[in-house]
Amino acid sequence: MDISPTEAEEALAAIQTMMQKTRRSISSSGAYKFLILWGVIWMLGFLGSQFLPKEIASYVWIGLDILGGILSMVIGVRLNRGVRSSAPTTSGKRIGFFWLLLFFYCVAAIGIAWPVDGKQFAMFIILFVTVGWIAMGLLLSFASVWWGLALLGLSLVSYFLLEDYFYLIMAFVGGGGMIALGIYVRNRW
Amino acid sequence: MAELNETIHQTVRLRIMAALVTLAPNEEVEFTYLRDLLEVTDGNLGAHLRKLEEAGYINLNKAFVERKPRTYICATTDGRKVFSEHVAALEAILKSK
Repeated sequence: MDISPTEAEEALAAIQTMMQKTRRSISSSGAYKFLILWGVIWMLGFLGSQFLPKEIASYVWIGLDILGGILSMVIGVRLNRGVRSSAPTTSGKRIGFFWLLLFFYCVAAIGIAWPVDGKQFAMFIILFVTVGWIAMGLLLSFASVWWGLALLGLSLVSYFLLEDYFYLIMAFVGGGGMIALGIYVRNRW
Repeated sequence: MAELNETIHQTVRLRIMAALVTLAPNEEVEFTYLRDLLEVTDGNLGAHLRKLEEAGYINLNKAFVERKPRTYICATTDGRKVFSEHVAALEAILKSK
């Protein structure tokens, strides 16, 4: 079988286009929505912590977390059903159990250590979320590990060195970063 | 040197294989999802899938999801190998230009 270089070039371009379209189709099926959703929640929650009285900010966080949990479930249920994995049941369940276990560890750690202020409380949650994020990255998509590590490093630096701006940094860099990553995944991945 | 594969080189089959090899080795795609992705008709896609299945480049798995019959498609190991050889052959033609 012989073809001209022009035909070869066209065939390679068609392959490239199809691969990109497939990747986009899979990524736009819902995964990026989690990033945008929780980015918005972080942004609103931490802005609340910065500018609202402590008690009201706590209620705002509780409301946002409940809303985030419900919307995450809805997104999860509606996630792309066109592509399935031959080993989804076991790994999906294990991932679910991992997050459940991490949630109980987080609650237990907070209960035992009993943070004295909102920043400590927030930092506990950030530590557990970023550990979960990094673990998922190691298992599912190594590229996202760096984003998780960056968020963890930023959170620790803000907590220890930029205490007065902790909430604002978490709102704009943490929450904003998640939103930006979500949009990037949606449009460019 | 890698050789061009006549079965794969046909435009629709080339795009089918490109879509399938983009998935992880343990993943498979549903028929209607692939049809929408490729923007082809049911009959057209079915005919090309049969050719690829006969060549041993893809597997078709039928299953019931929520009591509805579904067909899932995935590239075989052989299909992935042949496809990457075909791409290498195309690149070689371009380099020799």
